[in-house]
Amino acid sequence: MTEMLTGAQILCRTLVEGGVDVIFGYPGGAIMPFYHALGDHPRLRHILVRHEQAAAHAADGYARASGRVGVCVATSGPGATNLVTGLATAHMDSSPVVAITGQVPRAMIGRDAFQETDIIGMTLPITKQNYLVQDVAELAAVVREALAIAQEGRPGPVLIDVPKDVQNQKTAFLGLEPRGSGLDTRAPSPNPQDPDGVREAARLIAAAERPLLMVGHGVILGNAYTEVRALAEKTGIPVITTLLGISAFPDGHPLFLGMPGMHGEVRVNRAIQHADLIVGIGLRFDDRVTGNTAGFAPRARIVHIDLDRAEIGKNVPVAVGIVGDARDVTRRLAAVVQPRTCVPWLEEIREFTRPRAAAFRGDLAPETILASLYQATEGRCTIVTDVGQHQMWVAKLYPYREPNSHITSGGLGTMGFAVPAAMGVHLARPHETVWAISGDGGFQMNMAEIGTMVQEQLPVKMAIFNNGYLGMVRQWQQFFHGKRYSCTPIWSPDYVKLAEAYGIPGWRVKDAAELPDAVAQANDHAGPALVEFVIEQEANVYPMIPPGGSLSEPIETAPAAGD
Amino acid sequence: MPASHTVAVLLDDALLTLNRAVGVLRRRNVAIEHLALRPSDTAGVSRLTFVLKTDPATADRVVQQFHKIVGVRDVMLVATEDSTTEV
Repeated sequence: MTEMLTGAQILCRTLVEGGVDVIFGYPGGAIMPFYHALGDHPRLRHILVRHEQAAAHAADGYARASGRVGVCVATSGPGATNLVTGLATAHMDSSPVVAITGQVPRAMIGRDAFQETDIIGMTLPITKQNYLVQDVAELAAVVREALAIAQEGRPGPVLIDVPKDVQNQKTAFLGLEPRGSGLDTRAPSPNPQDPDGVREAARLIAAAERPLLMVGHGVILGNAYTEVRALAEKTGIPVITTLLGISAFPDGHPLFLGMPGMHGEVRVNRAIQHADLIVGIGLRFDDRVTGNTAGFAPRARIVHIDLDRAEIGKNVPVAVGIVGDARDVTRRLAAVVQPRTCVPWLEEIREFTRPRAAAFRGDLAPETILASLYQATEGRCTIVTDVGQHQMWVAKLYPYREPNSHITSGGLGTMGFAVPAAMGVHLARPHETVWAISGDGGFQMNMAEIGTMVQEQLPVKMAIFNNGYLGMVRQWQQFFHGKRYSCTPIWSPDYVKLAEAYGIPGWRVKDAAELPDAVAQANDHAGPALVEFVIEQEANVYPMIPPGGSLSEPIETAPAAGD
Repeated sequence: MPASHTVAVLLDDALLTLNRAVGVLRRRNVAIEHLALRPSDTAGVSRLTFVLKTDPATADRVVQQFHKIVGVRDVMLVATEDSTTEV
C-alpha cells in the first residue's frame, strides 16, 4: 500500500518495521520533525539521555546485550559531535549501532549554518558506513540498508545524517519491501569457507603438544559458545578468553585458564609463551593481548579464525587463516578434529601458577567486593565495567558463568562507558539485574545519567571503586614515571548525598563488615541504586606487562621506594 | 623493502565511497606515487588505480582493508615493481 509520508514519519516507520523498540536520544533544532513524528509511534520507546555521548553508549550496550541493532538519535552540530566517542567505541568493539542525526536544511549545507557540522566527514573512519540523505525518496531504503549493514558480517556502527527539510519532505512510502532489490553496496562476501583450512587446522591440533584455544568477542557475537566448548572438550585444549571474550567460556570449567595480556595472569601468559599451537577464534590479537608481537608466542604456530578477512595476519603471522563465522567454522573444526587430551600440558601450566600478589592492605580488597557481589546476585547478573583498574579487577576476579554477562569498552578503552551502557543493557534484558561498575574517574564522566535512570525508571545498580586517583594512570606513573602523580589525584563529591539528590538510595562502604548488607540491599532495591567502595588509594593491578614489553616479563611487585 | 605496488579497485561511483577509499590510504600514511580515477565499463562503477610505495605486508593490509569498504566491488593487487626498476 502506498501512502504519502514525511521523511520524519518514514524514519519512524522504517525503524519500527526493522524491529527497533527503543531509541536513545536528545532533541534539538535540526531533528525536531523526527521528534514530532515520534509522538505517533508509541512502539518506539524514547530514552531521553543527559548527553548525546550517553545515547551512543546506551545504544551500544543495548546492542551488545541483545545482539540486535541499538539506535541513537541526536541533532546536528554539537548533538552529532557528542555521539562521536560512542560511535568510535562501537566501531572498535564491533557493535551494531545505528545513529540518526539531524542536519541543517540542504540549501544551508556548506555555508557554516547554525549548528552545522560535517558529521559525515568526521565519522568516516569510525563507522562501517554513513549516509547523507539528499532525497526523501531514498530515505526508507537507506534506513533499511543501515540496519542491515550494522548487523551483517562483522557488526559495526552506521550513521544516517538527515537534513531538516528532507525530514519535512513528503514522498510515497511503500510498506515493508524486501531489501536488496536495489544496489548491492555490501562489502564483498568473504572467501568461500575453505574446508582445507579446517582440515589443516585439525592436523595441527592433532600434532601439537602444547595447544591453546584463544577466544574473543567473535565467539559472543557469533553465539559460538557450545561449539567452542565442544572443541575444547573433545581435544582437552585449555581455553584463554580475551577481555571481550570473557564469559564466552565458563569460569570454573577445568579447561578454563583466564585472560591473557597486559594484566593477564602469569600462568596464562606463560602458557602462551610455551605453546606450540594457538587456535584463535574471533579475536584480533590486539596489542594489549600480545605485548610486543616480536616476542609473542615464539614457539607457536597460529591458526586464526575470524569473520573479517582483514584481521588475518594483521597483527601476528598466521600458519592457517580461516575466514568465516566463528560458530560455523568451530563446529566444522570440532567435527573433523581427532579426540585427544592434553594432560601433560595442563600439568605444565598448573606449575606456572603463582600465588596472587598481595596488592591490598586493609580488608576491602576487590576480591572481597566481587565475592560479595557474586553472593548477592547468585552469579546471575550482567556486569558492565568502565575502563581502568576496576575493569581489570572485575575481568580477572569475577567468576563469569553465563554467556555474554560481561560488557566493557575494550578496544577504545572509553572511560565513562559503564553507566550509560548499563542503561541500554537493562532495556535489552529488563528481567535481569544490571550492575555498572566504575572507578571514581569514569563515574564522574557520565554520572549525569542518574537523572536519565530516575526519569525513565531504569533500575541500574551502580558501584564505584573510589581510590581518589585516576588509578590506572597513577599506577603507570608509579611504575614508569618516577612516582610523579601528575594530575591523577581526583576529588569526588559525597556520592551518598549525590544519590540522595537524585532520590535514589546510596551506600558508602569502608570496610568488609559493611559489604554484604549494602550490596544485597542495593541489589534488591526496585529502582536505581548506588554503592561506593572506599578502597585503598595506591593499590595496583598485578601482574603487569609493561607497554611494548614481552609476555615473558611481567611486573609482579611495585618498584622499590625511591625509584 | 619498499617497492611499488599497483592496486586496482572497482567501486561505486559515489563521492562518499571514494572518500572512504582514500581514507584507508590516509590513515595508514602510505606513500602514494600515482592515483587515478576513471569510469569503468559498467555504468555507476568507477575504477580507482593507485601505486603505493611500501613493503609487501603493508600493501597487502591496504588491499584487505579495501575489501571491507561498503561500495567497493573488487580489489586487485595488479603489479609489484622493485623500487630499483624504472617504471
